Amino acid sequence: MSEIRVVLAIARNDFSYFFRTKWLMAVLLSLNLSDMLVVALVYKRMMTFDYFVYFVPAVIIMGLFAASMDTGRRIWLALREGVIQYELSLPISTHGLVIAYLLAGGAAALVYASSLMAIALIVLPAHAIWSAFMLLPFLFILAMGLAGIAATLAAVASTHGEFFFAFQNIVQIALLTLSTVYYPIEVIQNYLPPALIIVVAANPLSLAAEALRQYTFAGAPIELGFLAKILLASVPFAIVGAFAYLAALRKFQVKGKL
Amino acid sequence: MRNVLRLVWFDLKQELKPPVWIIMEWAVFLVQVSVYGVMISQLVTGIDNYFQFYAVGLVIMITFDMASHTGRHFVEHAHEGRLPYLLSLPISRTKLFMSIALQGGAELALMLAVPLTVTLLIIGNLTWVSAVACVLALFFLGFGVAGLMLGLSFIAFKSSDLYTAIVTGLSTIIIRFSTVLYPFIFLPPQYASVALFSPLTYGSDLTRLILGFDPSFLMNPYYAVAVLTALSVSTLGLGLILIQRLVEGVKSA
Repeated sequence: MSEIRVVLAIARNDFSYFFRTKWLMAVLLSLNLSDMLVVALVYKRMMTFDYFVYFVPAVIIMGLFAASMDTGRRIWLALREGVIQYELSLPISTHGLVIAYLLAGGAAALVYASSLMAIALIVLPAHAIWSAFMLLPFLFILAMGLAGIAATLAAVASTHGEFFFAFQNIVQIALLTLSTVYYPIEVIQNYLPPALIIVVAANPLSLAAEALRQYTFAGAPIELGFLAKILLASVPFAIVGAFAYLAALRKFQVKGKL
Repeated sequence: MRNVLRLVWFDLKQELKPPVWIIMEWAVFLVQVSVYGVMISQLVTGIDNYFQFYAVGLVIMITFDMASHTGRHFVEHAHEGRLPYLLSLPISRTKLFMSIALQGGAELALMLAVPLTVTLLIIGNLTWVSAVACVLALFFLGFGVAGLMLGLSFIAFKSSDLYTAIVTGLSTIIIRFSTVLYPFIFLPPQYASVALFSPLTYGSDLTRLILGFDPSFLMNPYYAVAVLTALSVSTLGLGLILIQRLVEGVKSA
């Protein structure tokens, strides 16, 4: 019981650190809001297809993704600045520490994405707002999965900042360009080979963006099979991330460094 | 001049060992052009060959990023205590400023090497004169933006957090409210009036004009040259004045 309390205390601390980082908030809000209110609107005027309706739900997922990936930066900072040594001295197991970071990453991303969703609901009429609430737990699992990817990158890069940010950049570009966040699958089918189209369709970002478009904004009835797909695409990332971070912490405990 | 070059190399060699960011930037550019650029240009019907338009836009964004990096780098020096060391060196402030500007120029040249070559190949059918003029326009824009960011970097002496928040927020707005990604005629009127204040509007339209894009949807080149000249001269001049007033021992807050 006391371990759960410590886990929640560390998670709360990491969660508040995310929102207290002024420059990060400035970057995320300016990027996501300008994507939603400027880029989507201007592209709509350049296309025969309603890009605004297509892109606004995707911006929410992009925000969720960026906020989840920041978990990696916080883990990397904790490793570099030696905060991790203090955290390892707390009355908490290494498992508990890993869970705390993933919970905080997921929760921070979900809260941030929810604020974007609130803005999106003002600018784009939604046909089933209650569907958005139904999707939140699945978005939380997705955010934890993405935080897991970030944790893996931080563990692999250890204290080498330039490598961590380079890895993070590669993952961001790969996951976003190979998804249906920016363009519909029909366009991708004309251009990419079949193997990559499977990757695009199974990408958790594509699934989450599609769920928001269909269920919240278009008002289609929620399909449980589709939600299960989001879980299936997200949970493995969370597990791999948890194990990678756990392995890094164990190594840290034995050797005193990474 | 030898001292200036030595200072430039002193900082530059750290970026080259290993050149992670340069290779990263090239790889990101290639993926964005070959995947995102191709896909989105299939959706854009408002202008002919949006793919070429987008490729030039990406080159402008790299120029902007590198130019703002020059300002951030200066703040990092102050934050890490390296600026007082640089200020204590037996070189004049003007030379120090020149070394900062030259380092920015060298980094920009390195970063642009692959993206610009690929973009020129995509556009094709170019003369040496237009290629050289395009490089000059990009450097002109780069120095203007670097000067602006160096000017803003003095906010960091009050609060580095505030500086980072202002610069990152401003950078996004300058890019989005400009003609980097879309022609001016497609901007809604309320956005178009903001875009007129973005230096990237003039830099990107001037570069596109040099590269042979349809002038009917670009800004007047005379205005573009005038704005870019005014920006470069005024912001670099301001930076030069401010660096003269820096006293040894200054530290970022």
